[in-house]
Amino acid sequence: MRSVYLLAMAFVVLAVAGPWLAPHDPAQINIPHRLSPPSAEWVLGTDALGRDILSRLLHGARWSLGLAFVISVIGLCIGTLAGLVAALGGKLADWLVMRTTDTFLAFPDLIAAVVIAGVLGAGTTSLIFALTVTGWMRYARVARGIGLSLQSQGYVVQARLAGLSPFAIAWWHYLPSLLPSLAVVWTGMFARAILGISALGFLGFGVQPPMPEWGTMLLDARIHMRSTPLQMIWPGMAVVICVLAINLTGDALRDSLAEQERRS
Amino acid sequence: MLNVDGISVRGGTRLRLQDVSFTLARGQTLAVVGESGAGKSTLIDAILGLVPCHSGHVTWDAAPVRDCRPALVMQEPRSAFNPRMSLRRSVMEPLVAKRITPDQQHLDQLCHGLEIPPDLLDRRPSEVSIGQAQRVGILRALIAAPPLVLFDEPLSALDAVTQKHSARLIAQMQRAQGFAALIVTHDLGYAAAFADHIAVLRAGRVEELSTAPAFVDAPASAYGRRLRDAAFALGALEHVA
Amino acid sequence: MIRFLASLTFRAAVVLSGAALATFALLWHAPGDPALAIAMARYDALATTDVIAIVRAEAGLDVGFWPAFLAWVGPLLVGDFGQSSVTGHDVLPEVMTALSYTMPLALAGLLIGLAISLPLAIIATRRPRGWLDRFAVAIASIGAAIPAYWLGLLLILLFAVHLGWLPAMGARTSAHIVLPALTLGLGVAASLTRILRSGILEARDQPFLPAFTRRGVAAGGIERDHVAPHAAIPVITVFGLELAFLLEGAVMVEVIFARPGLGSFLVNAIEARDFPKVQAVVVLAAILFVTVNLLIDLLYRTLDPRIGERDA
Repeated sequence: MRSVYLLAMAFVVLAVAGPWLAPHDPAQINIPHRLSPPSAEWVLGTDALGRDILSRLLHGARWSLGLAFVISVIGLCIGTLAGLVAALGGKLADWLVMRTTDTFLAFPDLIAAVVIAGVLGAGTTSLIFALTVTGWMRYARVARGIGLSLQSQGYVVQARLAGLSPFAIAWWHYLPSLLPSLAVVWTGMFARAILGISALGFLGFGVQPPMPEWGTMLLDARIHMRSTPLQMIWPGMAVVICVLAINLTGDALRDSLAEQERRS
Repeated sequence: MLNVDGISVRGGTRLRLQDVSFTLARGQTLAVVGESGAGKSTLIDAILGLVPCHSGHVTWDAAPVRDCRPALVMQEPRSAFNPRMSLRRSVMEPLVAKRITPDQQHLDQLCHGLEIPPDLLDRRPSEVSIGQAQRVGILRALIAAPPLVLFDEPLSALDAVTQKHSARLIAQMQRAQGFAALIVTHDLGYAAAFADHIAVLRAGRVEELSTAPAFVDAPASAYGRRLRDAAFALGALEHVA
Repeated sequence: MIRFLASLTFRAAVVLSGAALATFALLWHAPGDPALAIAMARYDALATTDVIAIVRAEAGLDVGFWPAFLAWVGPLLVGDFGQSSVTGHDVLPEVMTALSYTMPLALAGLLIGLAISLPLAIIATRRPRGWLDRFAVAIASIGAAIPAYWLGLLLILLFAVHLGWLPAMGARTSAHIVLPALTLGLGVAASLTRILRSGILEARDQPFLPAFTRRGVAAGGIERDHVAPHAAIPVITVFGLELAFLLEGAVMVEVIFARPGLGSFLVNAIEARDFPKVQAVVVLAAILFVTVNLLIDLLYRTLDPRIGERDA
């Protein structure tokens, strides 16, 4: 369990400190040394323009993990707000919010993200928009579900009788109870965002070259698959390891929450 | 004055309350007694507006009851407190909601009256006994000086010794604060000893409404008589009669 | 039951209307002038201001949001998905052609997924927390983290480039479906293994099972009659999610393997800014999705009468 958290921490450090750890400038074009195999100078080799792959991966962590963080946190805020409005706002608000949630759930989310990002035009803003719009619903459902179960709790009834405003009740009594479960959902959505960013990058709808995003790097590498297959392995590996670490962290978090619940 | 005027409450297909009416003035105590399932808790919910009445209405001084910020003392003392907060934070909530700055002297006075040691409020609900939680629950109910306080089975979670203690404290606080008290209980002995009036609830209807001494002497309804006789048989009414 | 059915159908209708509105709103507010894009696609250099104005009127783009929305939704209700803004051909036959490539792929992916996950889950749960079980869980965890497009590329690298056993690009022969289906199937297998495993374990934990054993009911009979139906409920729920996974996976896989199908159709339509085609794919996906979820809700109700609605 501990090792999983350590691994996740290591990725956070990598994402933050990656650019300083990179041995080369990720944008430095070096045509004479293009498509070099791994060596002491270029640990993971170079790409079609002779750029150092390791450095690009390390810089790319900031794009992939950083954007995924932003996307999953915006989704968390929107979804939690929607779920709380549904739980606290009365029957009509509940119906409206939940049907909106269902509507957004009516599309397979990656397809929706591809359409949104593609139609709005490539770029970071539309990438964030596309993955946020398709990634807030699970938070809303969880927040609403727990919110409804809190409604009959004695302390919530007391707060309502005392005349506390719905905002204050949501803030003091609902949010603290929601946070653990939302954290578990968040890890899943964080992993989803990483996969989404790289998928959109791979389709050419995401982060644009020359930015060293992992999906975009994979798209570049694909053309030279026959001559330098290794070049294609690295960015994919980075995605897999990151997503795996995050998913395992989420599992560990969920297990320890279940454990706590059982004990209390 | 609390005015409950012909309320009926629907629950599923049947009526949980049927045409219930009574009044309750400041400084008075009304005990609502009845078997479980008679609609006692529904009555509290209806008065507080937690469930809608499909007919009739409830007012306090001709305004909706919620406007007077009534307080509720719950059956499960600990459930009234957010387990993540200190008791002090929960106790202060009614004042925070009314945007009143807490008056330390007033708080000390209430704590003294309820025999709550000063440091108890800094603990969490799980760190105090049921009896202590009960007294803090009463403190929370009284902190903003509400004109109306409802007690939902205030003694049922307590052991016999604590029950007597709590019952006495509630009566003392009412004498000091002068609120109107509505006590829902299945304990006829408690009702007879501390209430001014007793309402007998059966299957959602008020069977009878008498003064406490009159009820102990001669219940007006057959059902009331049965309840009283059963309580006598258990020895619950000896100290009253 | 009839009330339940009616409320479900009403909900589905509301959700689908919302989905149609959201789709239309997105495309309506897309950057760039759609009339200009159509004119450029059709007449290239001849697209003068006059031509653009004519195109705009023809495509019904000059009437404002709500009239345009209604003009699109009205025919949609009777199955008319409109015409491609680039070629002017009806969209529906083209979508159906694309679907005829995607359907076999999705089905093959699902079958491969089941063929791998079902035995794996059953063997793994023979001895929970044994090494086989841990192995299955590890495989499933890693599988869930591998993006479909990377897995596809790795398979191409191994089977097409390195070993030369299988063709990679296009859909000319039936052998062309093997690698795409395998890509999709491995992804499905990862998530299904996880769900089947916990479904079986949970069903075994049912409090009534030890009573059967004590009464001397044969182990095989218990598994078949009591464990299997309990494990079926979460599995059915997951088929709804699996469908999303299959559709998404198919989109990515078709792009990687340059296979005709809904995915390539969609990506090409987006790049050509042929919005009627995009709308058609998205709305069809939503209809499929909502219908399947509706059926799952119904099946759920039949399998377990205690459940009224899923997380409602």
